[in-house]
Amino acid sequence: MSGELAVEMRHITKKFSGVKALEDVSFSVRKGEIHALIGENGAGKSTLMNVLSGKFSYHSYEGQVFVEGQEVKLSTPKDANQHGVVMVHQELALIPELSVAENMFLGNMPLKNGAVQWKAMYDKAGEILKRLSLSMDVKMKVKYLSIGQQQLVEISKAIMLGGKVMVLDEPTAPLTGREIEFLFNILRELKQQGITVIYISHRLEEIFQLTDRVSVMRDGKMIVTRNTEDIKEDELVSFMIGRKMKDFYPRVTTETGKVVLDIKNYSVGHPQYPGKNIVDHVDMSFRSGEIVGISGLLGAGRTELMMAVTGGYKMKGKGTVLLNGKEIYMRSPRHAIKAGIGFVTEDRKGNGLVLGQTICFNTSLASLNHVMKNRILSKKKEESVVDDLIRRLKIKAGNMYYPVSSLSGGNQQKVVFAKWLATSPKVLILDEPTRGVDVGAKYEIYTIMKQLAKEGVAVVMISSDLPEIIGMSDRVYVMCEGKLAGELQKQELSEDNIMKYATGTVGRQGGC
Amino acid sequence: MTGNGNGTAELAVSNSMSRKAGRFVKNNFVVIAFVFLLIFSSVASPAFLTVANITTVLLQNSIYAICAIGMLLIVITGGIDLSVGSYVCVCVCFTAGFIQDGMGIMAIVVVTLLSIFFGCISGALVAYAKVAPFIATLAMTTILKGIAYLYQVGQNRRIDGTFWPKFIQGTVLGIPSPILILLIIYLLALFILNKTKFGRGLYAIGGNPETARLAGINVKLYLVMAYAIGGLLFGIAGMILAGRLSMGTATVGDGYELDAIASVVVGGATLSGGVGSVTKTLIGAFLMGVLMNIMNLMGIASYPQMILKGIIIVGAVLANRND
Repeated sequence: MSGELAVEMRHITKKFSGVKALEDVSFSVRKGEIHALIGENGAGKSTLMNVLSGKFSYHSYEGQVFVEGQEVKLSTPKDANQHGVVMVHQELALIPELSVAENMFLGNMPLKNGAVQWKAMYDKAGEILKRLSLSMDVKMKVKYLSIGQQQLVEISKAIMLGGKVMVLDEPTAPLTGREIEFLFNILRELKQQGITVIYISHRLEEIFQLTDRVSVMRDGKMIVTRNTEDIKEDELVSFMIGRKMKDFYPRVTTETGKVVLDIKNYSVGHPQYPGKNIVDHVDMSFRSGEIVGISGLLGAGRTELMMAVTGGYKMKGKGTVLLNGKEIYMRSPRHAIKAGIGFVTEDRKGNGLVLGQTICFNTSLASLNHVMKNRILSKKKEESVVDDLIRRLKIKAGNMYYPVSSLSGGNQQKVVFAKWLATSPKVLILDEPTRGVDVGAKYEIYTIMKQLAKEGVAVVMISSDLPEIIGMSDRVYVMCEGKLAGELQKQELSEDNIMKYATGTVGRQGGC
Repeated sequence: MTGNGNGTAELAVSNSMSRKAGRFVKNNFVVIAFVFLLIFSSVASPAFLTVANITTVLLQNSIYAICAIGMLLIVITGGIDLSVGSYVCVCVCFTAGFIQDGMGIMAIVVVTLLSIFFGCISGALVAYAKVAPFIATLAMTTILKGIAYLYQVGQNRRIDGTFWPKFIQGTVLGIPSPILILLIIYLLALFILNKTKFGRGLYAIGGNPETARLAGINVKLYLVMAYAIGGLLFGIAGMILAGRLSMGTATVGDGYELDAIASVVVGGATLSGGVGSVTKTLIGAFLMGVLMNIMNLMGIASYPQMILKGIIIVGAVLANRND
């Protein structure tokens, strides 16, 4: 390696409506290396790469970008392509009904008098595939290819575009073990040919297997860049986390009771990749009066597990579920509600609220049976239940007939809470309960959770916010790629510990 | 200085009041428009405000209003039913035919069940087979029309003098039967939409079907029920029409779905679902009816009437819009 720089980004600062997403980030990549870029969700990796790949115009950030020593001002991804920077996205952007070659040349087909030169196109596509030692029929429709093969088509397309610097965003997420190995070989091959690869991932083992150097980002800042061989895994994890925990969580001691919900050997099939499990043979149990956190990275299968157990997921789960020691099968959310299980979903606008309706309508929606008299809705009963909850949860609103869409994020989230509290659940599952909620409302939501636990409710909290998981949970399950990677007791909880299990560094199922 | 301060305060008060008034006008646009139309009509034509004329308007429009209420239930779920005209047509044919065949009161029972059954098919296509409501009911339109033609084989079935025309053309407690039937349907729909879990469910499904499902609402069943009740109401409209015509013919019903949709939309519902009121829908239906009536009384020809009707629909929708 010559040490010449393929890419250099100097003092990049990028704000989204006043909030700094990147703060004075400098980042450089040597020619012909495989450079890992890692960090937690929201650390700024994707934002930085969007700056590099021209998705954000150079007007919208401060700082300079150099490609092969020359300053570039990129306005569109096409500009970036012309300078040899190509992004291979996480979500594949191929058109299933078109052939491999057509997809590779989409928008750049060789033309003669306006007609496509099919032979030239197929020949050139074949040449590129050969360069990558791929044996794929260039005329095959993409829909017949596996996800792994589709990804290789994306990479071929990037080479076809003249890519000298390739950015791969979480390329291995949908791949199986053998496909990953194959992809790595291709990437090493590209490196031999002098192509630079920037590799975004949060799987630490892959970074040690594949990359030459590694840069860690956290909270919009560049923390460190090292040679991969000079750094240890624990060190990397602590660079990724690094935050100090604040004393922010209400201290209430609760008494842990009997096991209420018991999940045994539970699996759920993957909706997109048949044969793969999105939840894989998981055992968990939840006691009354206890707050149990479920941690893990995005796509670890946490939401899918709890959704499938309560009958709300599109795929049916396999395994045993016991409620108060009795086996139960919940066919739909309706059955779960009847059984006393509530589920505060992650996406309050998408599936938590009916935005066009009032606070009252939304609050009573899951518990209409409780506000009826002789099977007829009773306005009096409904108003008294809703009024109680508004006061208990301190929902700030003029009155209960205001539309929920007029409330702040925190108050909207409280309405979703109110909806489930109205069902008097014995088990309450919370999926990212404080996402997009301001600090004040956050604290109030934590207080409500503690209070519920004190009343004997089994609280299950799925969260990607590590301080929150550590601050609130009595016990934490960590999931990794659909499997249960580990169970941590209160005294074992630390960000390092959780991240180790979540990234598959340690775990009972070994590297998951 | 103080005067100035007072001025701004007053301005703010009057501002907020005018904003409140604006919202009131917007929310009750169809009611206000209807009142204005009634006043205008009373002044414009001495023939308007007579018992005979008002009864005629009510009688003529009760069929449309019943269809509009059926359509409202479906529109609230975010759906639509394009087959109203065909329901009316096939039910007119069956009612007259069955009565002519000597089935007596059973004819009414059978047609009622059939219209519920047809509604269930549309509903099942929408809820279970996930066919877009537009397409599912478009298919039902031609299926039902085909059944009507097949059954009718080109002849009209007269049922003059039988119990059904006597009932429909007669009165109960001094109220013409169709108007009484409409009144009962209106009250039932009001009750269902505001006082039952089912009614709440319909609004929730139209507002956000995923939220509704996760809140334990039986979305599929409720959808089928909405289309079935819609079908029932369209069937009742057909039966009333058969009674008023004293015969069965496959040439009726065309365009009823459009009048029903127009009434629902003029009444403030949106086709994307989640909102809609029975009372305003009813007023929407009669607004159109009264408008036609006064134009007839004033001697406006029927083609300009059509143009004016279209303008009224667009005007009402624009006035009802939220932004």
